[in-house]
Amino acid sequence: MSAVVPPPGWLDEIPLRRLVDAGLETSVAMPPGDRPLVEPGTAVLPGDLLLEHVRDRRVDEVEVRTPEGDRPLAGSRWAPAPGRRRHAEHQADGELLAPMPGKVSRWRLVTGEHRAQITSSVAGIVIEVRPGAMIRLRIEGLALRGAFAAGASARGRLELATDPFGDLRPGGIDVGRTGSILVVGSRIDAEALTRARAMGVRGIVAASISGKDLRDFQASERRQRAALHVPEPFGVLALDGALKRTIATPVAALLERLAGREVALLVDPPALVFDGTGIDLPVVAPDWVRVRSGPNIGAEGRVLELVGLRRFAGGVHLEAARVELDGEAPIEMPLGDLERMG
Amino acid sequence: MALIGRVGGRHRLLGSTGGPVGVPADALLERLRRRILAADRALAEALGIDQAGVVADLRRLECVTTQAPVLAVIAATDRIVGPLAAVAETAGWQVRPLVIDGAEILQVATALADRRVDAILAGASEPPGADERGLIGELGTLVAAATERRPDLVTVLAGGLASPGGRTEALFRPDRPGPTVLAPSPADDGGEPLRALLDSLRGGQDDGRRALAAAAGSLARVLRRHVEVLEIGQSGGSRTLASWQPGAEPSVRTAAVARAALLPRPFTEADLDDVIGWLPIALDRLRTRDRLREMASAPWGDAAADGAALRLAAARAAAGRLLALTPSFDDLPAPDLVIASGGAWLAAPATATVLAVADVARRPGARAVGLDHARVLAPIGTIVDEEERARLVADLRDDLLVPLGTVVTAAGLRAARTAGTLTVHGVGGPLEIDLVPGSVELVDVPPGERATIELQFRDPVDLGVRARHLALDVTGGLGGLVVDLRDVPLRLPDRLEPRRELLASWQALVWPGFDL
Repeated sequence: MSAVVPPPGWLDEIPLRRLVDAGLETSVAMPPGDRPLVEPGTAVLPGDLLLEHVRDRRVDEVEVRTPEGDRPLAGSRWAPAPGRRRHAEHQADGELLAPMPGKVSRWRLVTGEHRAQITSSVAGIVIEVRPGAMIRLRIEGLALRGAFAAGASARGRLELATDPFGDLRPGGIDVGRTGSILVVGSRIDAEALTRARAMGVRGIVAASISGKDLRDFQASERRQRAALHVPEPFGVLALDGALKRTIATPVAALLERLAGREVALLVDPPALVFDGTGIDLPVVAPDWVRVRSGPNIGAEGRVLELVGLRRFAGGVHLEAARVELDGEAPIEMPLGDLERMG
Repeated sequence: MALIGRVGGRHRLLGSTGGPVGVPADALLERLRRRILAADRALAEALGIDQAGVVADLRRLECVTTQAPVLAVIAATDRIVGPLAAVAETAGWQVRPLVIDGAEILQVATALADRRVDAILAGASEPPGADERGLIGELGTLVAAATERRPDLVTVLAGGLASPGGRTEALFRPDRPGPTVLAPSPADDGGEPLRALLDSLRGGQDDGRRALAAAAGSLARVLRRHVEVLEIGQSGGSRTLASWQPGAEPSVRTAAVARAALLPRPFTEADLDDVIGWLPIALDRLRTRDRLREMASAPWGDAAADGAALRLAAARAAAGRLLALTPSFDDLPAPDLVIASGGAWLAAPATATVLAVADVARRPGARAVGLDHARVLAPIGTIVDEEERARLVADLRDDLLVPLGTVVTAAGLRAARTAGTLTVHGVGGPLEIDLVPGSVELVDVPPGERATIELQFRDPVDLGVRARHLALDVTGGLGGLVVDLRDVPLRLPDRLEPRRELLASWQALVWPGFDL
């Protein structure tokens, strides 16, 4: 990277993308029936329990007896009174869903036999617990934001499987990668994603994932989740989008520095979260630019000057800049296709 | 982003520009200031904007358009939920319809509890029909239970559920922080009272779509014309028809439609088919989907070459959804002026936009088409005082819109080699053109010029009125006069290849440099 110089004001006209963010919030889905194991204000560490998830939700009808005038609220927990558990309908505890129409004390209860404990993949503070909906956390640490993600949030040791330009083929993944979050360069296909999950990999980070591969993976993920066996969480994060390009140099430099460390891959919002302690963030030159979209997608270089409105192919007039990409002769490009990072 | 200044005793549009999220507004303002200074230093000095940084202190009119909030619309049966959802769709909400009949209670309760749901609309017919009576109690308890989980949830009870102090309202805790609003039935007055109520509940004091509707009303008043605005943006679209009548306030009918976003959420296979159906170029389906996904995350990117064609195809598809979801507008007086507004229309050369509007807004008759090129209509609409707003619109009437031309659409033509003749009496003398059914005829009438045209058909056709011979005064524009003799509604080949060829042949007429 070149030496840092104060950015001149005109550079502000080129969209800026932040390399990392702090104070990100994430939420964990908690559908009716799931039991929260934390309260607002609870500090959690990676691996701490967040909630008990019911995998085979069903609705039972129960008689809820409360002191006069003290009607329970939907979303409250309910358990059979001690001594009455032998009756079949009273055996399971659960969450009150809604009263039966026209009956004050007869309620529908969401319950189930198979329960899984969901842990936090990040350190943070619980800021909201909404029964039947979600648990919201404010994350401690830094986040590298992505374009989209799929699967489930996961945690693992970051490993670089290829260089930033490479593609990872299914044969390149073996059990030696178990428990890791793999950075796989420019792109990965659905077959490699499924193999990675089968090999115990916890997550995949790529510059791009095509819509077709993403949908194939999501369909496979749904089938996995429907099985009674509890699968390990596995997530996939596309840093930039759906069209093939390499990982941006500053992002690749950051990922290299994070290699070997524990990181969390978040699905909502799509991000890679890490503890920034002891990490020197890459410094990006103010005139460094990357082609965000259009014909030269993924190319990097530096911006030389703004050139105002220019006519481009298709007879379209767009605000433009003169840029030098990959050491080639300067060309004019639409500002909307460029991004800075910092 | 636009700069308006007082020049020669009245307000004028000095310039406009724009940029993606991530570019500070002050940087764009400074770009504008520099350009004005470079173009006319004396003017910049007179306006006091000749020094860097001074524009930051200018009075600002600002509005925003944001992602539509989510409204769960629930009723006992499909028969009831349909009209409720149809009205809610036009009130700026992203609608999730739910039906009790035949559904698993757990699935319905889970959908109501979803963290992405911002409000609930529950309704029944008035009085409840036989098919829903047995389910009304269930409906009430489920919605009330959802508000117990989220006491701040806005809940609207419509039609048969909306009796004050009624059995359903009594299910809701009176001390909860969220309001329980009693609303009219979707059947009342074409659903307009319910639409207006739902629109008011989605918040956003500086909402760009409401402001655009207000500005359209002022424009109709100033121009003394019926004005229709078709706005397509990244987060949604809107349709406004402002009608002017002598001696009366303009009546404004508006609808904000989340599904009319350039790329709606969720983006379905049917939405992709719609975009591909308007593409005049061959693009692989999977790659088209991926490019549209990229367009959703970087709306300003990939805007040249075939990216512009892709964007205009998406704009046509979005406008088609907008018009399909607002059928009641077709019963209102036909507009004299159609305005294309929103970022989606700015992707292509202005001349191509006029044909795109003609492709989707297919009403027989003649109407001028303008482009809200500087996107200042909506910010002007944030001025609360109607008189002040109208004064500003009157000052800016020559600057607000780029005149794209006049579109004359004829319907009911019989298939023949020629259907009649068009005679244009313009500055260059009379010009006579054969009218060929199914074709688009273009006549150069520059912006600022007027021409008289005579349409002489062999058989009576529908030009808003049924006639064989019609003479009209038309205004010019960048696209000139467009005489559209294609079917109403437009019929295109089902097979993609001939369809693309046909679209490309029309596009080539109006899009300089379209040979991508």
